[in-house]
Amino acid sequence: MAAFWKKVVRNRALLIMVIPGTIWFLIFAYLPMFGSILAFKDFRISRDGFFASVFNSKWVGLKNFEYLFTTSDAYVITRNTILYNLVLIFLGLVISVGFAILLSELVNKRMAKVYQTGMFLPHFLSWVIISYFAFTFLSMDKGTLNQIITFFGGERISWYSEPKYWPFIIVFVGIWKSVGYNSVIYLAAITGIDKSYYEAAVIDGATKWKQIRYITVPLLKPLMIILTILAIGGIFRSDFGLFYQLPKDAGALYPVTNVIDTFVYRGLINMGDIGMSTAAGLYQSLVGLVLILVANAIVRKIEKDHAIF
Amino acid sequence: MNKKKSLVMVLSLILALSAVLAGCGGEKKSNQPAKEEEAVQSDGSIDVSKLDPVTLKLYLIGPSQNDLPKVQEEINKYVSEKINAKVDITMIDWGDYSQRMQVITSSGEDYDIAFTSSWAFDYLPNAAKGAFMPLNDLLDQYGKGIKEVLDPRFLEGTKVNGVNYGIPANKELAQQFVWRFNKKYLDKYNLDISNVTTLEDLEPLLKTMKENEPADITPLAVPKNFKPYLPFDFVLGDEIPIGMYMDTKDNKYVNILESPELKAALQTMRKYYKAGYVREDIATLEGIDNMKTGKWLVDREITQPYAELGWSRSAGYDIVTKPMHDPIIYTSSAAGSMLAISSYSKNPERAMMFLNLLNTDAYLRNLIQYGMEDVHYKKVEDPYIEDLPAMNENYAMPGFALGNMFLTYLHEGEPKDKWDAFEKFNSSAIVAPTFGFNFDTAPVKTEVAAVTNVAKEFIPALYTGSVDPDEYLPKALQKFKDAGIDRVIAEAQKQFDAWKAEQK
Amino acid sequence: MTSRPVQIEMPMKPRKKKKRDYNEITPAWNVFFNIVIGLFSFSCVFPFLFVIIISLTDEQTLALEGFSLWPSQFSTAAYSYIFETGHELLVSFGVTLLVTITGTLFTLILVTTYAYAVSRKSFEFRGFFSFLAFFTMLFSGGMVPGYIVMTQFLHLQNTIWSLILPLSLSAFSIIVMRTFFQTTVPDEIIESAKIDGAGEFRTFMRIVLPVSLPGIATIGLFSCLAYWNDWFNALLYYNKPDLTPPLQFMLMKIEKNMDFLIKNAQNLGSFNAAASLPTETVRMAMVVLATLPIVLAYPFFQRYFVQGLTVGSVKG
Repeated sequence: MAAFWKKVVRNRALLIMVIPGTIWFLIFAYLPMFGSILAFKDFRISRDGFFASVFNSKWVGLKNFEYLFTTSDAYVITRNTILYNLVLIFLGLVISVGFAILLSELVNKRMAKVYQTGMFLPHFLSWVIISYFAFTFLSMDKGTLNQIITFFGGERISWYSEPKYWPFIIVFVGIWKSVGYNSVIYLAAITGIDKSYYEAAVIDGATKWKQIRYITVPLLKPLMIILTILAIGGIFRSDFGLFYQLPKDAGALYPVTNVIDTFVYRGLINMGDIGMSTAAGLYQSLVGLVLILVANAIVRKIEKDHAIF
Repeated sequence: MNKKKSLVMVLSLILALSAVLAGCGGEKKSNQPAKEEEAVQSDGSIDVSKLDPVTLKLYLIGPSQNDLPKVQEEINKYVSEKINAKVDITMIDWGDYSQRMQVITSSGEDYDIAFTSSWAFDYLPNAAKGAFMPLNDLLDQYGKGIKEVLDPRFLEGTKVNGVNYGIPANKELAQQFVWRFNKKYLDKYNLDISNVTTLEDLEPLLKTMKENEPADITPLAVPKNFKPYLPFDFVLGDEIPIGMYMDTKDNKYVNILESPELKAALQTMRKYYKAGYVREDIATLEGIDNMKTGKWLVDREITQPYAELGWSRSAGYDIVTKPMHDPIIYTSSAAGSMLAISSYSKNPERAMMFLNLLNTDAYLRNLIQYGMEDVHYKKVEDPYIEDLPAMNENYAMPGFALGNMFLTYLHEGEPKDKWDAFEKFNSSAIVAPTFGFNFDTAPVKTEVAAVTNVAKEFIPALYTGSVDPDEYLPKALQKFKDAGIDRVIAEAQKQFDAWKAEQK
Repeated sequence: MTSRPVQIEMPMKPRKKKKRDYNEITPAWNVFFNIVIGLFSFSCVFPFLFVIIISLTDEQTLALEGFSLWPSQFSTAAYSYIFETGHELLVSFGVTLLVTITGTLFTLILVTTYAYAVSRKSFEFRGFFSFLAFFTMLFSGGMVPGYIVMTQFLHLQNTIWSLILPLSLSAFSIIVMRTFFQTTVPDEIIESAKIDGAGEFRTFMRIVLPVSLPGIATIGLFSCLAYWNDWFNALLYYNKPDLTPPLQFMLMKIEKNMDFLIKNAQNLGSFNAAASLPTETVRMAMVVLATLPIVLAYPFFQRYFVQGLTVGSVKG
């Protein structure tokens, strides 16, 4: 015990620094966390308040989780969730870093700033607005795309009932919305790189391509790894609006647009069952945890310094 | 510090903290004043001097109103005199209401009265979960007036396992779908609607329109929630295809997708879809703005007495209707608008007294809906009033959600016998075979959630004719079976049989 | 710095007076890059312009013609409708601004201190506190317990703190910030500062923070956006009619109400809800008004951003 207090005293300055954050975590993250036990209970309201309700509710084991696995959709939604996210994460990573590098190389820095400002904009638009916008392209009778198709003598396409186009549409729009934002993060990191590295490389006669390959990318790696690991952890929480609002909740598209989030939302919205919603959230968290641990372990194997923990 | 140790510490922290929280949540005191009992006189009137002053907290649905505090003051003056209580009203907007009330009730907040219904902050699951107080004894003791004015079928239909958990608003009790027609086109082509009842009957009319009018006119202007009328009593709303025939002989729930009626209706819709009588993108159409554009011939709507007057007025052109069926009283139509007392309420007796006033006292009822005389409205000739600008701007309350509608003033242009017509409408209605039966979905909630998902995938596309029923109906059937629809039907049947046996 | 690499050519554009950077890309590539990024950038701005056009379309025209880049009839009716009830909008804009600024400051203080401590290898409780933060990314208790903490434990409902506190900290920003500290502030600098006799706080304020501006700007931007776009906390904690909610909440409410009323039209039979609804163009105008301020403010952020980033960079 004495050793512990000595350690506390020795680290007092840094300990003081973590106090505000720790208090916040305790109150706003850990305190509510015990609500997770509702996932294993059949929530019934009792007259003496929420805590009495929680404690008096029956334990039901894993019954609240059954809903996620009973139907034949379980496979489809899991597959969709994982595949879309993997594609979005890796394509997003490549394009974001690529754009960040392009931006950093533009000769006219003022134009670069203008572009950057423009690219960032989709981040401010809500999915509802974006779905309207997509609709102006994809609408069957008034949409721009069908106008172009008929102009070239093609047949009009009923976009919202043809599942085969949607994997591309979803990936395209998902990337479109997030790339600007991520590029800004990477660009910030690139501009933070010490310019003397490049000077030295130039002296050594390195080409632009080599500079990017051997200086920029390696120095961005820690950030890339962290953002990717975190994104992998979020795989089971997909971007809800992308899969719900964008396809206008069209039933015919479910086979290619249904992900865990939309499945849970559609099933539970009218039921308002706290137990089942909590169970779904907990399931997503657990899988996310496992994925992060796995990804982190892989990173640690390859490059110990860059692992998150 | 190693990871395992960290985890243990974090976990024990959570436990310690939740103990703290539990302690702080347990501050509720249960006070049971028997005063209310003494205050009720033998003739039913209330002796205010025997009552302690209390404040009742109300949650009502609808947008918040600027003048609510002002009106609330008036209400309080009046209610203090009557039952020595004050009210504290919070309005929660339409779209937020369900979610917000879910959190409020689950958290154990001690409000007194809340709006509930079959479509927002759903009555049935919340009653089953224990969110509301059983009202039967309270009704007998403090709510005699309610029992006198309310059509008894309202209370009968909203019982859950024989117990009432909410006071329905006195309004139209039955539900009736009508075809609405744009009179302009009926006149133009001299179309006769006197023989139109079914979906099939519409065909010649739609055909005329399609052949003679430009393409941007939608003959059958309906969005994705369109359902052909089917003679069924649905157990979980018309999205889920489980129901009992209206003229059932054996009292059995069936899978509607297997019924010949549905099959025929789907073929007709498919025909209409292919002929271009409906919008091409109908399967994804949330709503349709036909009323605004006027470019339509017929759509589908739920009616009530004199509804076409209101529709014509708000559209700015003439609209006529033709019913698809007789008015029917369903369990869900009785629960269209209710006020319930929270099971956390500290003053349920007084809350019931207030509800009693709201359903029997014309002054209070109009005050809460229309605001103050000469501020928000002007009295014309009884029972008519005229809205003043302040009403639209600062006090536009949803009247149907505030108790007995039959007490409210009328607006110019409305027939004087409006409320009598409502009563006639209600008494003329047929009673659905499962009226009064409330299905508790808890034992099959997993299946219900799964079935709901399948319904969202297939029902709009099928029912609007957007896909070929020959191909998709079997597919949908299979998917519903995989999701456990048969177990839901069996459970509904079991509960219904038990309920039916009790009725005798 | 004196020798020019062979593969980089001399400047091509004579009108450019400034001497060309010795490490610049060739003009051909520059044009190509400009086109690629320029096109993408335009595709990002276009929808917003489109929304502005829609909001300026005549309501009747919109219903008849649908969305169009050049509607036959323009109208500012939507905006005059909003500004008629404009006072509340202005106040709610002020609320959003206040919440965003206070919240972001609050966030920056919490995040930088915490992240700095866990970035220090010499901090002996580093593992525990990293884990404490990280763990919260994985589990959340859900809405109801959070609501109870705010209303029954802290009693902060209907105060501005109920909008600020729930969003002040996230493990995500801590991890991002920690990485910034680790990569941009070498241990040697801190050690040498220590040897010079500077305490932890002094080192942190004087040495670490100034060189970490890019990271701080990034976190600040995250945080601003989160506060600006938040409507959910207002939904949960703001319930007095005389209390003006933030801008996004007003917008969201209109959005959700439209949705709800359309879907439940048949249940609302006795009440003519549709008549009291704002129309489509008004909704678009609200979107424009809610988005425009941050769109206009962002370039300023960016300037600050870039200024902070130019530390140590060599300009030709």
